[in-house]
Amino acid sequence: MTDPIVAEGLVKTYGGKVQAVKGVSFEVHTGEAYGFIGPNGAGKTTTVSMLSAGLRPTSGRAVIDGVEVAANPEEVKRRIGVVFQESTADGDLTGRENLEIAAGLYGISRREGKERASALLERMQIGDASERMAKTYSGGMRRRLELGVGLIHRPKILFLDEPTLGLDPQGRAGFWQFIQQLRKEEGLTVFVTTHYLDEADQYCDRIAIIDHGTIVATGTPTELKDKLGGDVVTLKTSTAQDVSETLRQVPGVLTVQRQDSSYRLKCSSGEVVVPLAVEACSKAGSLISTVSVKRPSLDEVFLEFTGREFREDEGPSATDKAILGARLQSMRGGRR
Amino acid sequence: MLREFSALTRRELLRLTRNPQSVFVGLLTPILYLLLFGQGFNLGSLSGSSAAGLQYALLGAPNYFSYFAAGMVGFVSVTASLFVGANVIFDKFFGIFKRTRGTPAPSAAVFGSRLIAGSVQPIGFAFLVLVLAILFAHIGGLSGLDVTASVGVVGAVEILLAIVLIAFMFVTLALTLGFLIDTPQTYFAAVNALNLPTLFTSDALYPWGTMPHWLQDIATYNPITLAVSVLRENMFGDSLYTYPPEVYLAGLAAWAAGMGIVAIILVRRALRPSN
Repeated sequence: MTDPIVAEGLVKTYGGKVQAVKGVSFEVHTGEAYGFIGPNGAGKTTTVSMLSAGLRPTSGRAVIDGVEVAANPEEVKRRIGVVFQESTADGDLTGRENLEIAAGLYGISRREGKERASALLERMQIGDASERMAKTYSGGMRRRLELGVGLIHRPKILFLDEPTLGLDPQGRAGFWQFIQQLRKEEGLTVFVTTHYLDEADQYCDRIAIIDHGTIVATGTPTELKDKLGGDVVTLKTSTAQDVSETLRQVPGVLTVQRQDSSYRLKCSSGEVVVPLAVEACSKAGSLISTVSVKRPSLDEVFLEFTGREFREDEGPSATDKAILGARLQSMRGGRR
Repeated sequence: MLREFSALTRRELLRLTRNPQSVFVGLLTPILYLLLFGQGFNLGSLSGSSAAGLQYALLGAPNYFSYFAAGMVGFVSVTASLFVGANVIFDKFFGIFKRTRGTPAPSAAVFGSRLIAGSVQPIGFAFLVLVLAILFAHIGGLSGLDVTASVGVVGAVEILLAIVLIAFMFVTLALTLGFLIDTPQTYFAAVNALNLPTLFTSDALYPWGTMPHWLQDIATYNPITLAVSVLRENMFGDSLYTYPPEVYLAGLAAWAAGMGIVAIILVRRALRPSN
């Protein structure tokens, strides 16, 4: 069985010189939640646009549910649901009308569209506001309406482009609760771009880190974190005695850093190392007063693979500016 | 295709009914033209112009207001269609257009729904203008539309067709520009650059007889001239016209068809996945 989402060497160049995406390749398996993480301008939205038949790649190929995107974009659109980064609901229509009209756009009959709209409004918990104009909805309600619009034709593959951007933590959690429920009940395959690393860590089965248009790392959140060498254990002893060498001998310990009576251990598994380290120190005559185990976060993974820290509030990146410049240039007919 | 078309048309019509103020504002301009320009531009009061000479210059219309009222049908087709194209630009701005493009709805449905729903206003305005102009004739102190020929069923159908075709043509033009252009500033600059010359090279607002020959030559083939000629010939008689109204109607249909073909080519290109 073919994977529902396959990207092979996707490249997108704007204006003949600005490469927004530089040959990304990956597969997303059936029922998987695949996170595409990276800072602004990394190439996330451009990749989603190429996969969802909104943007023609400069080179490479994308295959969605066995359908070649370039050859049959309309068929691809029929098989996928997309929740765009920006709000696309019509504010001058009610929530119900937005959903019914979206159903019509997929060729669903009026009667069937009404039934599906009612069911989705209930499910998205906007039933009470269904007859209100969408422009009066809160940010969280609008996002849920967007999700409803993306699901009206019951796709098996869902693309989410920064779906929780601008939502408060409660709204983000609520949105993801819906997605998780849908995945469980309907076996949806989800491709999500986000620059909220905690979301990717918590809700995605696998993650690709994209930076400057290139995938720099891929794997499950645990695998990515394990690539950093596993956990960090911090121990504090009650005596001034140096136990660095003792700790180095403990199986599973990779490195030991000492600062006064504190020791920072990098190890494959904190759970395994802590009891062994406590026992070894005790035998060496040094008692441990405090111990903490920290799993590396995706922030640290990002730092490791990109060489810089991940900031959620970045302004337009150099790539964004270059793409904008190239578009303006092409709008002016390429004259200087 | 029909379901997509029906859904999109429903959306356009819902939006139209939700914004009655836009209809009122849109209607204000032609009403003011009828009340001020049409009343004030009283050619018959000029010294030295005989009634017969004036009627000749006005291609059979008994007075300038009657001549002008028919021309206003062309005028409202141009002005009311502007908003239809502007709505496409605003839909792009608010992300609604992106949603539509993200669905498999065929470009014919996307364009066709806007054409049908968008033509409601210009066609409605054209009939309102004619009705108001006729009513003015019954209000003291105002000039009104004086229909001097007997308009039969065929004539009425021809008038209806002319109004529908001219509205379709300008709505198609406005929509095409709306689909091709991304910013409101560029859009309004483009429609002004196209619509005003189109209006002023027609005989909608000023008498045919007052134009220099070169302008008469241009005006002959202008779609607005063709539409108002169908109206005037049916309402004021055919004695001063070279061709019967069916010929002008055929010319207008050719314009609308040509514009439709251009629109199909350009809009399909605009709705393809971006490069």
